[in-house]
Amino acid sequence: MDDLVLQKIAISGPTLASMIQRLSSSPADVDGLLFGHVTYIAPSTLPDDSAQSTPDSQLVATISGFLSFPSLLSFYDSLGRVDPSRLTPHLDRKTLLGWFSSRRNTALRPSMRESSVTHSLFSIPNLSLPIQNANSNSSFNPSIFLLFTTPAHDKFIQTNQYRAFQFQSPKLSFSPVSIDIVNIGPAFRGHYGSFSPTSPLPFLDCELRNLTAMHEDRNEENLIGMKQASKYQSELDLNAEGLTIERLRRLIGPEAVNYTAGLEDLYEKMLSKIESLARHVEASSAKVLEQTHSGAY
Amino acid sequence: MSSDGFPPFISAQLRYLLDHFPHKIRVEQVRSGGSGGLDRFTLLIPYCLDYIKWDVIYNAEYPFAPPDIVFGPEDDDFHPLLMTGSEGEGNLNSGSRNILSDWNNKDPTKLQALIQELRDQYMFYQRRRAGEVDDDRLKFEISTILPREGIEMHISSVAEKAEEVKFAVPLMDMNINKMVHACPWRHPQKIYLQVIYPVGRKYASTASAPRLKLMSTPELRALFSVDDVKLPSWLDGMCMAEYLPNLEESLEKQVREAVSLIDIRRRFIEALVPFFGRPLEADPVFCGKATFLASSGSFVFLVHFLISTQFPKQQPALMLQSLLHISPQGVPKKSPLLKDYPWSPRWEASQMAERILDFAADECLNFKRFCSDSQPQPQPQSQH
Repeated sequence: MDDLVLQKIAISGPTLASMIQRLSSSPADVDGLLFGHVTYIAPSTLPDDSAQSTPDSQLVATISGFLSFPSLLSFYDSLGRVDPSRLTPHLDRKTLLGWFSSRRNTALRPSMRESSVTHSLFSIPNLSLPIQNANSNSSFNPSIFLLFTTPAHDKFIQTNQYRAFQFQSPKLSFSPVSIDIVNIGPAFRGHYGSFSPTSPLPFLDCELRNLTAMHEDRNEENLIGMKQASKYQSELDLNAEGLTIERLRRLIGPEAVNYTAGLEDLYEKMLSKIESLARHVEASSAKVLEQTHSGAY
Repeated sequence: MSSDGFPPFISAQLRYLLDHFPHKIRVEQVRSGGSGGLDRFTLLIPYCLDYIKWDVIYNAEYPFAPPDIVFGPEDDDFHPLLMTGSEGEGNLNSGSRNILSDWNNKDPTKLQALIQELRDQYMFYQRRRAGEVDDDRLKFEISTILPREGIEMHISSVAEKAEEVKFAVPLMDMNINKMVHACPWRHPQKIYLQVIYPVGRKYASTASAPRLKLMSTPELRALFSVDDVKLPSWLDGMCMAEYLPNLEESLEKQVREAVSLIDIRRRFIEALVPFFGRPLEADPVFCGKATFLASSGSFVFLVHFLISTQFPKQQPALMLQSLLHISPQGVPKKSPLLKDYPWSPRWEASQMAERILDFAADECLNFKRFCSDSQPQPQPQSQH
């Protein structure tokens, strides 16, 4: 089997930060699983020099979630053999990219057992995930290993090091892969194309067209609309008991704007009520003070 | 927690390893992986006349888990747990696999067994890598030299430097420890020939001679210094199998001679007794050091004799140490090493001792003046 070589690994800043937070707050070494997806990205720049060979595949693995285990040897044994029966309960329709390990005060290289776990994870059948945007029906075996350490010498400054590797089965070797940390901001907008929302709730159109236009369309799409609504309703019923799709739609559609405006108005009125009450109290206590003063002399 | 800062189960296994490993292992960079105390360290394991550094990572929070190991940065394709090795390697892998799969943290011998097993696997790994180098002479050398026992190979491939294959060839099948009476050495003493072949220079017209160096286990220095040995020259077109027998023969002779020199040194120290009195301190095994108490008038001092392994060809070095003068740093005043006085290796031991006494009697006056001159407060001195 040909190994698919990753060009880079993308991870969002908050995901990485929450991983590091989890690892550094743990009293001991931690390891766990990495979830996400692999996307084929068409090269955006065409080289002027035709002789220059461009990599024909640009695979990017996007880490969108992780699961850490409370103890060592959680889904593998002391020889680093992965136990599929201990692994599958954690997968739950999520696609596995690989795993990570964090150990303090050690070198930033895969260890003996880590090599074995990575090899074992790679070799388990039925764990491969489909590649998005790929032209052929190719799949990717979980081969990513993300290693976190702290330097062995540094005692006074908290330092976290991390390095990502992709395991390559023909040579049984690890090749380092660059990590792209995707942050919010105009420079990173393009990167969000590869992130897809995973929400258990049905996808509802938030139509921002004006209401009169909608009323005209409603009549034509009535049948389709009803069918759609009953489909959404059944999706919603999987996650909530007795909430109609109409009420959910009211929370996100154009009506939600009125709802928010109404609530904001209510809060504003409540605030002004408190303010007038405060003014009353101030005035009356001033009077009380005046009376006691005049009474004293 | 035991006295060395490790949890008791790690402490016991580490101690057993240090006491029972056939090579002298050093422990460095002891550190902690969490709040449970020290649980990780670096082992410096002798291999091929150098050290390999392996990080041993226990986990104080999970005492039942066997330790994990991070190998050196050059050995990133050494994967002892993967069942992929060719020929003998596969069987060897099962050794370390067995130790890890029935790990018992209460058994102090486990770490020693694991490191021993992994070092053997590492030896095979390096041997396989050396065998894969595309170099005809090297392939020939490896095939002819392999029957010798205990040969270790190492291939260094540091980025900028040219590739080299290093051999450590243990020489002479003799037990030096047994030849020394009341031998204090815990580890067997050995002499090795280090042979370094440069590889990768495909277009060189003639194969250049390998770089040769004699090396020994460090404690052997007390008996025999390999630096004093002149290596026979390596002729063009020679191979190791031709070179080694001559070298071994001459070395064997020199080691036997070195052992017999211990007695010569002992007799010399005994010959000093009538002139200097009984030694305060003497090295009873190798007879390389002896210290006597001496005085000249009221000036009392020590005479240290440092007798090299080249004695009697090389005369002993003397050092005088005052018992009355102390430097501002609080250290007793000492003379420099005195190596230049009348000497002949053909003298009888008693004559050597007598001549040294004469020299020391003269020299102690110089030394006394040196001590008093540099003393900040003059000592009460007897007038001559």
